[in-house]
Amino acid sequence: MAKYVVTANTVTLNSQDISSSCARAELVINAAEVDVTDFGSAGWTEVIGGLKSGTVSFDFHSDFGSGAVSALFQDLVGTIGTVTLIAGNGTAPSATSPRYTATVMVNSFTPVGGAVGDLSTFSVSFPTTGAVSYATA
Amino acid sequence: MTIYAMRQGLATNIATISGLRASAEIPDNPSPPIAIINLDTIDYNLAFNQGLTQYNFVVTVIVGRAAERTMQRKLDAYSEISGSQSVKLAIESDRTLGGEVQDLRVERSNVVGSITINDQIYLAAEFTVTVYA
Repeated sequence: MAKYVVTANTVTLNSQDISSSCARAELVINAAEVDVTDFGSAGWTEVIGGLKSGTVSFDFHSDFGSGAVSALFQDLVGTIGTVTLIAGNGTAPSATSPRYTATVMVNSFTPVGGAVGDLSTFSVSFPTTGAVSYATA
Repeated sequence: MTIYAMRQGLATNIATISGLRASAEIPDNPSPPIAIINLDTIDYNLAFNQGLTQYNFVVTVIVGRAAERTMQRKLDAYSEISGSQSVKLAIESDRTLGGEVQDLRVERSNVVGSITINDQIYLAAEFTVTVYA
C-alpha cells in the first residue's frame, strides 16, 4: 500500500451502503488528557490517557429518492446507528483497507440546505458511543 | 449514462425550440440557426465510488450572418430566461435528460458576438450547462 488519493472509501449506515452519496468521511478517535502533575513533575505538566471517545463526520449530496441518503436520515435522528468506514478506497476490509465500525448517536440532520445554484449538500457529525472497532479481514 | 447520450439529451431539449436546429456533435458545415453541443470539462470524484460526476458542457448557438439586422434580436430571444425561444428554458425543460442524469442547470450565457465559419461572419452565443450524473 502506498499513499493514496481518496476516491472510493466505503461508508455504510445501518448496513446500507451510502458511499455514492458521500463526498467526505472522517473518523476521529480521541483520548482525554488526565492531568497527573505533582510536586515531582519538575515544573512540567504530566498527563495520562483517560477515557476514549470518537466522532464521525460526513458530507453528503442530498437525495430524497426512495432509499436514498436523505430519506435514510429522515427517521434516524435521535436513534443509535452503526457506521462502518472502509479506508484505503476499499470495498472489503484488508490490511491495506481497514474497516472501522462505530456505534453512533444520530443527533442531527439538515434536510434542506444550499444557496441558489449550489449542489444541495448536507454535513453531519455524530459522537460515537462505546468502542470503535478495527478490522483488517 | 454515456457522454454521447448526454449530448443527445441536451440536443433533444434544445430542439423543442421552433426553428433552431440542434447538433449533438460538431457538424462539418453548420447551417444556422443551430445549437452545437460541446463538452468542456469533467470533474470526477465528487462522491465516493464514482457516485457523482460533474460534466460541464458549452452549447454554442449560432444564429445567422452578422450582417442581417434581425439576428441580434434572435440572439436576444435565445438568451431570455423565459419564452418559447429561451435556450435556458428549453435545456432545463427536462433536467434529468429522461431520467438518465441526476440534475442539470444552465449557469450562464456568454454572448460571444461574431464568429467566422467558412469565411462567413455569424452572430453566436455560448451557454454553459452543468450536468450532474
